[in-house]
Amino acid sequence: MKDWDFRYDLLPLKDKLFRLAYRITLHTAEAEDITQDTLIRVWNKRHELEDVRSLEAYCLTVCRNLANDRRELHEAQNLSLDGTPCDAPDNADEIDSRMERDERLQWVHRLMAKLPEKQRAILHLRDIEGHSYHEIADILGVSEEQVKVNLFRARRWIKEQYEKIENYGL
Amino acid sequence: MDYKYIEQLLERYWDCETSVEEERILRDFFAQAEVPAHLAVHKSLFDYQRAEATVGLSDDFDARVLAQVEQTETAVRARRLTLSRRLRPLFRAAAAVAIVSLLGMAAQHSFKRSATSEGWDYSVAGYSDSYSTPQAALDSCIKVLEFVQDGLKTAVVDSAHSSKISGK
Repeated sequence: MKDWDFRYDLLPLKDKLFRLAYRITLHTAEAEDITQDTLIRVWNKRHELEDVRSLEAYCLTVCRNLANDRRELHEAQNLSLDGTPCDAPDNADEIDSRMERDERLQWVHRLMAKLPEKQRAILHLRDIEGHSYHEIADILGVSEEQVKVNLFRARRWIKEQYEKIENYGL
Repeated sequence: MDYKYIEQLLERYWDCETSVEEERILRDFFAQAEVPAHLAVHKSLFDYQRAEATVGLSDDFDARVLAQVEQTETAVRARRLTLSRRLRPLFRAAAAVAIVSLLGMAAQHSFKRSATSEGWDYSVAGYSDSYSTPQAALDSCIKVLEFVQDGLKTAVVDSAHSSKISGK
């Protein structure tokens, strides 16, 4: 029987959760809300989590689901009155202040933001958080094969964008 | 300097054949200020990955979320008890009952004895020898002493034996 401690087991995961939520919603305040929500939800359900293999993976799963719920909610709000869908607001321009001066990093940020959510989440968990395929599959609830395929597509697309700059300039 | 290894890693990175460790090597390589011109174009990608890994929440986040957790905690106050902790009051009651009944039994026992027994008779008139002849008394004395002697002998042998074993 494991007794979880909020301060020592859950709170240290906050930055990781925040980064994933931000990667999906592309909105700082929203990501902060989602992180808080994730931590509170997991904490309130802690007695049911005795057979959870990794608390971190579980939290990341909850966080991704919450982030996607919010994203879908916002996307639904962007439907125009006659029912034809219009583009979601481009939140990718909201960038961390540290990055403001570095245009190159901003460019990569926008590049990643253009990927579909699944590819983006997988690329994030692999390249920024350094998770193994197995762990990512566990977090996303898909097969390792799926993780590899999506990662491959994401990286290939980014490579193509880099080749474009190399060949034609930005 | 030869950058074959990095070029190879980069190729394998695009093909998703690199390990987590190899991807870390790439990030470390591109973290240098000076990167050869033909590789420099990819520097921004790995710089971005490193920069993003350090993004975190503001300090007041902890205070806010902890306040919220404490609020729900005081409302519910549900604590998980282990079986032994749950049974602790029962153990306490059982121990108290055992102590009281032991004391009661002991008291009863001593009351009974003092009521029934007559105590020791120290008067000379009531004295009688345990043995009929002095020889019988001596014999039994010697028997007891021999018994003690045997006991001591076996004790000495045993201790010598055990010290031998422990000496090994």
